[in-house]
Amino acid sequence: MTHAEQATSESGSPAASSGSEIEQHPAVHVPGDGHMWVMVLGDLIIFGAYFIIFMVYRAMEPQEFLRSQEHLNINIGVLNTLVLLASSRFVARSVQAARGGDHALALRLTYLGGLCGVAFIVIKAYEWSTKIAQGYTISSNDFFMFYYMLTGVHLFHVSLGLLILGITARELRNPRRRRISMVESGATYWHMVDLLWIVIFALLYVMR
Amino acid sequence: MSNTISTHTSPSASTADTRRAKRAGKRDVWLVFWIVPAFYTAFGVIFFALARVMPPPRPDVTTDQMVHFFHAHGLTIKIGFGVLVLILGGAGVANGIVVYHMKRMTVGSVLAYAYLGSMSIGALPGCLLVAICFLTAVYRPGRDPQLLALLYDLGLLSYVGSLGCFSTAYFAFAVAILYDRNQIFPKWLAYVSVWQIVTEILAVPVFVSKAGPFAWNGSISFWMGTVIFGFWLSCVIVFLMKANERQPVDEAPLD
Amino acid sequence: MQILAEAEDLPKTANIKTQLISLWTAPVFGVVLLIAFLAFPGFFPPMSPDMTAEQVARFYDDHAAMIRFSMITFNLCGIMLLPFFMVIVVQMKRMATQSHVFAYCYLTAAVSGATLFALADIFYLVAAFRPGRSPELVMLLNDMAWMIFIAPVGAFVAMNLLLGLAVYFDDGPDPVFPRWVGHYAVGTGLAMAPAVGAAVFATGPLAWNGAISFWLRNGAFTLFVVVMFFVLRNVLHRQAVEEGVAR
Repeated sequence: MTHAEQATSESGSPAASSGSEIEQHPAVHVPGDGHMWVMVLGDLIIFGAYFIIFMVYRAMEPQEFLRSQEHLNINIGVLNTLVLLASSRFVARSVQAARGGDHALALRLTYLGGLCGVAFIVIKAYEWSTKIAQGYTISSNDFFMFYYMLTGVHLFHVSLGLLILGITARELRNPRRRRISMVESGATYWHMVDLLWIVIFALLYVMR
Repeated sequence: MSNTISTHTSPSASTADTRRAKRAGKRDVWLVFWIVPAFYTAFGVIFFALARVMPPPRPDVTTDQMVHFFHAHGLTIKIGFGVLVLILGGAGVANGIVVYHMKRMTVGSVLAYAYLGSMSIGALPGCLLVAICFLTAVYRPGRDPQLLALLYDLGLLSYVGSLGCFSTAYFAFAVAILYDRNQIFPKWLAYVSVWQIVTEILAVPVFVSKAGPFAWNGSISFWMGTVIFGFWLSCVIVFLMKANERQPVDEAPLD
Repeated sequence: MQILAEAEDLPKTANIKTQLISLWTAPVFGVVLLIAFLAFPGFFPPMSPDMTAEQVARFYDDHAAMIRFSMITFNLCGIMLLPFFMVIVVQMKRMATQSHVFAYCYLTAAVSGATLFALADIFYLVAAFRPGRSPELVMLLNDMAWMIFIAPVGAFVAMNLLLGLAVYFDDGPDPVFPRWVGHYAVGTGLAMAPAVGAAVFATGPLAWNGAISFWLRNGAFTLFVVVMFFVLRNVLHRQAVEEGVAR
């Protein structure tokens, strides 16, 4: 993926030249590029709307939602949360490593973060298959429709995130590139994915 | 950037009147551009006010209520959709100018063709089918209610539920923007196009759900999708205008 | 394919990369579509045109969940095969010894053909939407779904004949495709052509559940995508090497 952020950057971020990260710091450094922030903030707003709508429907049928919620396996939910939190930590450390110039470490950490992402998907697939086997499908009731749709669209975001981490990895592997803004953009997106999951986990699994 | 009047004649003009060009960019591209907001305004009026499919009537109604719907709105459906099938070429124009600018990117033509193709595909199940179904439904008074119910379901499910054609178009658009170095469109427009794909995914349950946020008239599957589409379309129109403005008047015609 | 470091940022490299992405959507979404195909309860064996209206209505009632899963997947992912065919268009435009009219005809034919695919799954889904619908109407929708899915092969036949012709006309010193691709494309077109019988015959191998109209038609199409994936991968590699983009 090529970014033209070297040319005109619409955010306040400094034009990053390839290779060296710390040249001339303006007072504020916006990590990554402005375009990714549009994505992240817009996505948060969109998901925020989904969450509000979920709360509205939950308020209309509290008993049904509570009863259905009991059929979710909270342990798997916790496991998924821990996996994503771990992946975010790996990705955050990889940004630090990249900033410090240790690209080999940054690359390894990116791979670890991606591996956790894959684990998340596998665990989620397992969870879905057990639910379906128990008879709780998307058409069971409103709660389960929300469950499958919210976790499903989140899964789509995780898959995109893996694609983006792959692009970050390719960036780090290529000594002619290694633009820090790209690494930061990828990390920003990944953290958003993690944040969304935490809210989904809270709403679907935990909130009573 | 290209606001100066070009002093040498462009290859496409045969006389010297290009020197009169008041605006940067090419005349034919501007003409095509203005058709886009004009068309979508008409589209909005038709779909919101006349044809009554924005918002769509509810899926959780009885056959009698569906019959009543067609009876009550027969005239506006005829006017609205009748006009739509006349002006639908505007959709082709809108897709065409996007393809034109995509071909000016540095990424080659394959994604422009994919956009062209997918949007063309989408016009039938995603727009024309509901027009034809509704026009047929109101064509003959006294048609068997069960047949009207079929036309109701077929029209509205295809209208809200045509997912893949547009997803492919948005995918092609997003990838092309992200790889493009001519900065024809801003990178964040690629991400907005990804949101469009998300709304298509969120519309998947319309084939299952008859009420609630995931029905074909639901707050999530329909309303949020429409709002985000409106935002995406507005951005595209604005950036088509900017792409037009930044295009050098003497740029050679595309092959 | 190893993209050369010095060529990373050139437009012709982006051209190769976007073609590669478009090419790879085929196996990725092909697997998804295959799963959807296997999941549809009406394909193994394919539903018979002989079924009565009651049987059809009961089929949709009994299997609504899998019908919906399968057809929604086709709906969402089917057109993702289009970029793959657009790579063929771009490669046809690289043929040196002809005008590129065949490429444009191929493009429009691909769009026509894919539109039918986009339409067919809607009909299956509408048939499964309201369980109380009159069985006669469910059968009507089912008939239309099958007919739209199987019978109008004209676009695919045209596409393959056009590709074949283009390959035959590409007889200069440096053809884009190996010559056997031309024969293969024509063969695929001919293999799919008899499926038009599904619009006419209700029994036998030409009916929509028949060996020719269903298995040969769909098998030939699937095989074409698989074979052309490998062909196009080689073609793209050669293009990249020729243009100095890759090693």
